[in-house]
Amino acid sequence: MAASRTQALQGCATWSRLTMHVICLLAMLFVMGITHQLQAQGTAPPYPFDAGPENTLGNQSDSDIWRMIRQGADGLPSSSEVVDGVLINANGVGWSELRRAEGPLIWYGGLGLAAVIAAVVLFFVIRGRLRIDGGRSGKTVARFSLVQRVVHWIIACLFLLLGVTGLLLLFGRPLLIPIIGKSAYSVFATASMQAHNLFGPIFIVSFIALFFSFVRGNLPSLCDLQWITRAGGMFGGHASAGRYNAGEKAWFWTATLAGITLSASGILLSFPDALGTHDLLHWAELSHAIAAFVFIGFGIGHIYLGTIGTEGTIEGMVNGCVDENWARTHHDLWLADMKSREKGADG
Amino acid sequence: MSAIELLEGPLWQISLGIFVVFGLWRLFVILTTGRTPVQARPVGSVGLGAARAIVGHFVPRRAFFGQGRVWFVTIAGYAFHLGLFALLFFAAPHVAFLRDHILGFDWPVLPRWGFIVAAQFAFAGLLALWVRRFVDPVVRLITRPDDHIATGLTFLVMLSGCTALGEQSAVLRGIHLGTVEAWLIYFPFSSLMHTFTWPLSRGFTGALAGRRGTRM
Repeated sequence: MAASRTQALQGCATWSRLTMHVICLLAMLFVMGITHQLQAQGTAPPYPFDAGPENTLGNQSDSDIWRMIRQGADGLPSSSEVVDGVLINANGVGWSELRRAEGPLIWYGGLGLAAVIAAVVLFFVIRGRLRIDGGRSGKTVARFSLVQRVVHWIIACLFLLLGVTGLLLLFGRPLLIPIIGKSAYSVFATASMQAHNLFGPIFIVSFIALFFSFVRGNLPSLCDLQWITRAGGMFGGHASAGRYNAGEKAWFWTATLAGITLSASGILLSFPDALGTHDLLHWAELSHAIAAFVFIGFGIGHIYLGTIGTEGTIEGMVNGCVDENWARTHHDLWLADMKSREKGADG
Repeated sequence: MSAIELLEGPLWQISLGIFVVFGLWRLFVILTTGRTPVQARPVGSVGLGAARAIVGHFVPRRAFFGQGRVWFVTIAGYAFHLGLFALLFFAAPHVAFLRDHILGFDWPVLPRWGFIVAAQFAFAGLLALWVRRFVDPVVRLITRPDDHIATGLTFLVMLSGCTALGEQSAVLRGIHLGTVEAWLIYFPFSSLMHTFTWPLSRGFTGALAGRRGTRM
């Protein structure tokens, strides 16, 4: 009897639980139906369904929400300033680490430039000035046209202006602020930024002119391999070369690639609002900085070899002519070509 | 008195005074010096010769149309001079400065992008022309130290102006004012006076040619 009563009670309890489940299920379906209806009408609440009403956390904890924000989860921000609905760009934190005053970009970039300067000084100490074989002949041969010289020196001026202002902006915080203070640095930084932005477009136009002025003769050729295997004759022996040697060609193409990168990234950085995403800006800034380091590093070597490093080289870029023995020492194939053309013209 | 007050006050007035007084004095001397009287009977029109030279020299002579270097000088020259003119008289900070310190009235100014483009044209032209003074053997020979000082000062004025473009720093504004004042003081005693004397020199040469019945 007692057993049958217990069994009946258990059956009731099971039925009542089942009834409750069915009621809950119906209630859920009703609420989901209403929500679906609201969403269809475009009046869905601006928070996830399980988050509860406005100003409540729902079934999420404070730390969960902040963790999601920190990791770059997207949502429905009330501010139109927030790009792509992301309150905190998680990639931006990584970028900030890379770009900060003691970060790898500034550290390795600075180290790279210091290494280039040290290498140039070391080379000068070991090798000294590269002299003209047999001394000056007193006869000259035309090497660079007026257009080439003007374009080259315009780029040289812009290289200095943009290089100095760019390095001030990049290295100012770790190097200048400890010496001159934040207030004085802010003057340098403002001035540098304005000058950098102003001269940038002039650099792009001049760079295009430079490319077309110098591309002839800078295409790779077989004699470049011989020049490379003989280290350009810098440590003895003679390395034949045409109008430009392999080192000059390497500089030309490196400068071209760096110039394109600097120009493209510079344009992107000049119009940050047009991009709509910060990630692209980070890449633009990173590639701008790396290309600048490459350009400046190679540029230091180029300036050294073009001035104090090699006797008679700068005359070609100032007067347009070089000594015949200079040409015979560094560009014998080009000199022979010039001579044969002269003979052809005379004949 | 702070440095910026000094630059905006007494130093500005002194440099402007030197610019006006000595500039006018130099023009007065040029106009009143006279020249050796020509005894020959005039063959052509003096006035027409002068007018033809003043206007005709705005473009290269037809005989030199095929020469790249002539176009280089012409384009760079126009880029610099027109750019500088736009900067001087249509940049918002300059118009405001002229209104507050000299004229008492203002006029429409360039938008910021127009100001930037004008500055870029001016800088590109000035750089190209200055570089040419160093690398063109003929121009190098006829270039005097005064030409480099005048160009260098103009470059510094423009550079300091462009660094002060943010209009956030009194120091940068002070540096720009200081370079402008140095430029104004140097102006009447230098080749910068060609700003005012070019019609006189062109006209004089053209008048001589016109009188002889030839063309410049």
